[in-house]
Parts: sequence; structure tokens; C-alpha cells
Amino acid sequence: MSADQFIQYLVDGLSKGSIYGLVGLGFTIIYAVTRIINFAQGEFVMLAGMLSFLLAITHGLPLPLAAIISILAAAATGGIMYLLAIRTARRASVVSLIIITIGAAIFIRGIAGEQLGKDAIRPPYFTGKEPITFLDANIHPQDLWIIGNTIAVTILIHLFLSRTMIGKALTASAVNPRAESLMGINIKAMALFAFIFAATIGGIGGVVMAPRTMMAYNMGVLVGLKGFIAASIGGFSSPVAAVIGGMILGIVESLAVGVDWGPFTSSYKDVIAISVLLLILLIRSGKLAEEERTG
Amino acid sequence: MLAKALRKWPYLIIAALLALLILAPFDWFLGQYRTLMIFIGLSTMVTVGLCLLLGYTGQVSLGQAAFYGLGAYFSAVLSKNYYINPWLAMLIAAMATVTFAYVIGYPIFRLRGNYLAMATLGIGIIMWILFRQLSQFTGGPDGMTGIPFLSIGGFAFESSFRRYFLVWGFCLAVLLISQNIVNSRTGRALRAIHGSEAAAESIGINVAQFKVKIFVLSAVFASLAGSLFVHHLRFVSPQPFDFFASVKLVVMAVIGGLASVWGAIFGAGATRILSDELLLRFGEWDVVIYGAILMLVMIFMPEGLFVKLKDIVGQVRSRFERRGAES
Amino acid sequence: MNEPILVTRNLGKSFGGIVALDEVDLSIETGKITAIIGPNGAGKTTLFNLITGVYPVSTGEIHFQGKLLGRIPAHKRAHFCIARTFQHIHLFGNMTVLENVMTGQHPRSSYGFLEAALRLLPKARREEEAISLKAMRYLNMVGLGMHASQNALSLPLGQQKLLAIARALATEPQLLLLDEPGAGLNRLEKRELSDLIHRIRELGISVILVEHDMPLVMGLAEWVIVLDSGQKIAEGTAAQVQKDQRVISAYLGEEEVE
Repeated sequence: MSADQFIQYLVDGLSKGSIYGLVGLGFTIIYAVTRIINFAQGEFVMLAGMLSFLLAITHGLPLPLAAIISILAAAATGGIMYLLAIRTARRASVVSLIIITIGAAIFIRGIAGEQLGKDAIRPPYFTGKEPITFLDANIHPQDLWIIGNTIAVTILIHLFLSRTMIGKALTASAVNPRAESLMGINIKAMALFAFIFAATIGGIGGVVMAPRTMMAYNMGVLVGLKGFIAASIGGFSSPVAAVIGGMILGIVESLAVGVDWGPFTSSYKDVIAISVLLLILLIRSGKLAEEERTG
Repeated sequence: MLAKALRKWPYLIIAALLALLILAPFDWFLGQYRTLMIFIGLSTMVTVGLCLLLGYTGQVSLGQAAFYGLGAYFSAVLSKNYYINPWLAMLIAAMATVTFAYVIGYPIFRLRGNYLAMATLGIGIIMWILFRQLSQFTGGPDGMTGIPFLSIGGFAFESSFRRYFLVWGFCLAVLLISQNIVNSRTGRALRAIHGSEAAAESIGINVAQFKVKIFVLSAVFASLAGSLFVHHLRFVSPQPFDFFASVKLVVMAVIGGLASVWGAIFGAGATRILSDELLLRFGEWDVVIYGAILMLVMIFMPEGLFVKLKDIVGQVRSRFERRGAES
Repeated sequence: MNEPILVTRNLGKSFGGIVALDEVDLSIETGKITAIIGPNGAGKTTLFNLITGVYPVSTGEIHFQGKLLGRIPAHKRAHFCIARTFQHIHLFGNMTVLENVMTGQHPRSSYGFLEAALRLLPKARREEEAISLKAMRYLNMVGLGMHASQNALSLPLGQQKLLAIARALATEPQLLLLDEPGAGLNRLEKRELSDLIHRIRELGISVILVEHDMPLVMGLAEWVIVLDSGQKIAEGTAAQVQKDQRVISAYLGEEEVE
């Protein structure tokens, strides 16, 4: 592999990994505050991506406006999902919550399939598709948008969580939910906020990613799974760790495609990504079991 | 009078259902729904396994369709490409599924709850990718046709009328086996694991081993159903074994009542009728309905729809009986 | 004198650097009722979890009837005739009262998946009859016979605790560990519990109980062991322990904190 090829794969990996990272970030925040793994996390990405196409192309809205409306729609979906499906399920077991969020996932997917169409779509690039040449490597401008956006969002979120009152309350309720309810922080409001927050970030990811990767109504599951892998690599410890986890996963996938696998084809990249997940889960299984027992 | 009739109703209902099951495939009765009912039987077999795992033992599998697919593809490939007797192919498929489920079961059942769910989801997707990608064996995304029928001696299951009885014979056997297991030492151990793993360990139940064993059993049920599926349709493609298929199985189990063996028929039936008959003309709204069902049932009746209905009927019955006793 | 049923040597357990139990030497006499008392965080429940194999030991060893328990997994210890109850009861809420006790017979029966699937096999049927007979006997012993077909969690707390004891007894133990059996019970229920524990002793079962309720302990225990901050600070008869200066100060210290 030559240097320019390597850079190409690297940028490609970072670009893909950005989305995984943003989705993983959403997983991490919801999990931290509520101890729920939201299996519908990938659907927010799909929803915003599909909507941005519908608004910009079919309805002819300017792209930035279409993007903002799409992101807000994803955010609202997250909030509604929490209020209708999660909050009403009081004292539900882990298994019940898994099934409820899966129900929400296919509910969103079904509506998207019927209302936004079954075909894969591709919204316009933000700034054309004229490749930028860097050290002999041709880099797609949308990739720079994706990576830059992810870095900006991650920094903003990090500042938000560490500097603002509400951000601190959010991380504090994650550390110790019981103590926080004693201190008068409203856990339910925090949980609602976490869902909206995670959905917004997923929506941002979806809008930025859709022009590059295309988007279809049934892509939510895989995007969600990859996001979960990113969060797992980051150990569900912090939003920044989840984004870094996503970048690592993206690069591994991208390089895996670059390697000559002989009889196997590059379509095994998903197999590789999932294998990474299984490996991580098994290595950490002891610690995870302990966490479930106490958490 | 009414009270007396109500007290006998379980037997009456069982007799009526059996009669319905036997008479249904005849043309003068419900013959036009024969294919639908074959699929209900197949789905019931897979769902019962999931009920044992999810409903009784409390362990999530979001990749159950993979075992259905494993049975289907092993049977299809062995019987068509390698001319192996379909029955033998079915047996080999089941044994391969056992081996696979054992090998992955031991490591993944060290995980619980959310992580177990994600791991099974991931394995399901890997299997689906393999079905698509190993096209030199499986025919890839387009699938393969020309799979032979099952036959006993000269008696081939070449009409859907014959296959109806074949499938439902298997299905009833699977249901009876499951029913027996649930009401046994083994079944109590499984339910104990659901109730409290710590307490189950403390009274000598090997929690890890029981989880893997019931996982393997559920996989075998799915594998057998998969084999019957390809010998019925004579065609196989990856589509019925994707992630959504696994979710659909969870829908069936949830409607059926999770911890209920016979509810599986109800769950599989309701789901199949909904998607194959009622909503076919309206696009894919069934997906939306499934999502709504999963959420509503788990929020308002986590014990499952069928079990809830049974409870309500039971309450009505006892009220009638009380009234009968008073008068 | 009989051989002790349980002996620990240098038994220690730490969780990520925090020492929960520190070089504890115990000797529990066969056929007696032994109480383990101590302020919160003294390591009592940790001790139970080590004896029953929930956690591996960090240091030292546990001998049960002269056999080293070592790394024998938790589920095998019931087969070794060690049974326990939990502070938080842990009943099987998805079963009836009787089924809870029947499940306790698990280590005393052996038929598996295959025999269960094919119910016709005589082994399964024979064992199943024996299981339900014995379970009913233990249920009657704790006085819950008339509630056999109720859901386990429909019982009031006091009866739930008795049910948990019946379930543990159904494993046919020689050593029974009771974790705070009296917590949350009213005076009448405590008297019933006390009677029950005496009857269990009469069956020849050695009992260790962790308990905060001093009158209950004084009325039951033939030997009392006091733990504080993971160490054994005293042992003796109830009367001896009550006079021990270190015990008094350990408990006083706790009261000051609270």
C-alpha cells in the first residue's frame, strides 16, 4: 500500500468512523443517564438523512434549512420516544426495555419506509464533489465536512458537559442517580434531555453523512450496531472515548477493505466490525457482568 | 349451566382446535389458506424455542433467524448440490446447528441483558452476510431453486396438502416437547434463572450450562423448521433470515405471551395473518404495527398478550362460577 | 467432641484494594446454631458469599467437613450440602410457592432435558413424584402448606422469608446460612422464625445466621462470633460476647456514626 493510498483509506476510515462515533456518543449519554441501551439509536441517523433529502430535493428547500429541520425532527422523535415509550414503562426489566426500544426502532423504520420511500437516496453534497488533492491522495470534500463536523460537535459536547450547569448535572446524574435525586436534580428531566440530546447528535450525523454514503430506510440497524461497537471500544466511559472508538472502528474497516483478502471480498467488512464487538464484549464480560449486577 | 360449560372449556377448546387443525387443509374448508397455515406452523416451531429462551429463561436472542437460516441452507445445499437424502440432510443440518450453537453459546452467555442482546444481534447479522456472500454454495442474494421434496419410501411430500400434515406433525411434537420441559425439573431450573440467578446458583443450578442448553434446543427447533421450510418452498434466499426476521420472531413471542408454550401458535398465527394476508395490499404498514405492538405489550402487559388474555378469561370465568355457586 | 463442620484459615477478601475480610479464622461446630454479628460493613455477607462460592477467596482457605472448598463453583456447593438464604430474599417470582420449594430439590434429583422432553420415561415420573412430596413436606414444616399454589410474591414479607428457608431446606443441606432472617419481621413472626430455626437444628442441620436483632440472636445462638471491619474481634457464648469490651466499643462506634 502506497502512501497516497494509505491516506485515502485513512480519510475514508475517519469519515465513516465519524458517524459511528457520533452514534456511539448518543449510546453513551443515554446509557450513562438511564442505564438503557437504546436500540433505536441508528434510526435517528436514518430519519434525519432521509428527511434532508426529501426537504432539499423533493420540496426544494435550501440545503442548510433542510438540514436544520431534519435534525430538529430527529430530536423531536427522540423526545417523543422517551415520553411515550420509555417513561410509561415504569420498573420495566432490562429485557422489556430492550424489546421496547427495538419496537421503537422498527416503528420509526416502518414509517420512514412508507412515508419517505424505499429507495436509497443521496442528498446533494455540501460543497460539490471536486476532490481535494493532498499528498497525491484525492480526498472527497464531503469527507472533510463529516470529519470536521464530528470534531466540532465532540469539542462542543465536551465543553457543554464540563462547563455548563445542565451538562454537569447530566454527568453527575450518570455517576450516581440515587444521590442526584436526593440533591433535587430531576432525573426524569435529565433522561428526557439525554434522549433528545442523543437523537440530535444522531440527526446531525445522518444529515452530514447521507450525501456521502447514501441512505435508505433500513440502514438504521447497522448504523446503530456500529455505533454500539464504537461506544463499546470507548468502554461506555465518556463521549470523547466513544468518538475515538468510532474513528478506530472506521479505520479498521477501511483498511480491511484495502487489504487483499484473496478468495474473500471486501463485503466482509461488517463481519470484521461485528467480530471486533464480540471480541471486546468477551474480553470485558467479567467486568460487564459485575456492572449489571450492581448497576 | 353456563358455569358448568365454562369449567369444561379447556378440554372443549383443545378438542375444537385439534379438529380445526385436522380439517383446515381440506379444500371444502380452509384449503385456500393451506400455505399460510404451513408458514404459521413453521414460525410456531421457531417461536416456541424463542419462548423457552426469552420467556422462561429470560435470555434475549435477537439473532434467532440465523438458526432458521442455518437449517434452511444446510438442507438446501446438501440435498440439492450434494444429492444427500433430504432426511439425512435435515439431521446433518440440525447437528451442525447444535455444534454451532454450543460453540458460540458458551462464550456469549457469559454476557447478560443488553450485551447479550447486541452479541446475538451481531451474530445474526454475520450469518446473514455469510448466506449472501458464500454464493458458490448458497447462490448469493438471488438464492437457489430446485430443492427436492421430502419423501418416505415412495411417498413424496409433493402436495401442499401432504406438507401441511408433515409440518404440523413436527410442530405439535416440538410444542409437546416444550410443554414437557417447562413442567419439569429442567423447566423449573430455567424459570429459576429468570427469577434470580443468584438464588438459582445457591440451590445448585448450573446457570451457565442451562442457559447454553436451552439456547441450543431453541436453535435446533429453528433449524428443523428451516429444513422443512426449504423442502416446502423448494427455494431459499437470504431474505427470510435477516435482522428483521429475528425481530419478527420476537414479535411472535411477545404476542404469544413469552412464558407460554401454546401461545406461540397464537403469536405466530396473528403475526403471519397480519403480514401475509391483511396488510399485504397496504404496503409495509405491518412493520409499524409490529413496532407498536412490541412497545405497547411490553409497557402495559410485560407478561405478553396471550397470557394477559388468558388471565382475563380466567377472571371472567371465576366470576361466573362464583355467581353460579351463589344462585 | 465432633469435628467442626466448617473451618476457615486466614480467610481474606478484597475488592479492588478495599479489604472486606482480613485473615479470619473460624471454626463452626457441627449441629449447633452459630450467630455472626457485627456492625454494618463488618464483612458478614462477604463471608457468606465466600462460603457459598459467589466470590472466589483472595487469601486463605475454607474447609467444609474436612474437604477444601477451593474454587468449587457456587452451584456445586449446594450439592456439597451448603444452602443459604439472602438478605433480599430472591424468591422466584415467576413460580408458585410450591414450585419454589420444588426447585430447591434440584441437587437431590438428576433427570435432565431428554427425560423431561419425553415425559413417559419412568425415571422422570418417579423423581417428579418424590420432588413434589418432599417439597410439600418442607412447605408444611415452615407452615406454608395451605399457600402452595399461590404465586410466591403474593405472600407477605414474613412468609416470603419462611418460603426462602423452605427452598434452602429442600436442597437437604448439612449447613444452612441465613442472611438476616429476622429483618423486617414483627414480634410474632420473629417468634415463629425462632421456633423454626430450633426445629431445623433438631434435624441435625448446622445453622449460621447473620443477624442484627440482638434478642433474637441471644435466644437462638449457642455460639456468637463478632466481626468488625473485616476482622474477628471476639467469640463466645452470647453472655460472654455481650460483656466483651471490644464488642461494646465496636457497636458504640457505629452508633456515634449513625
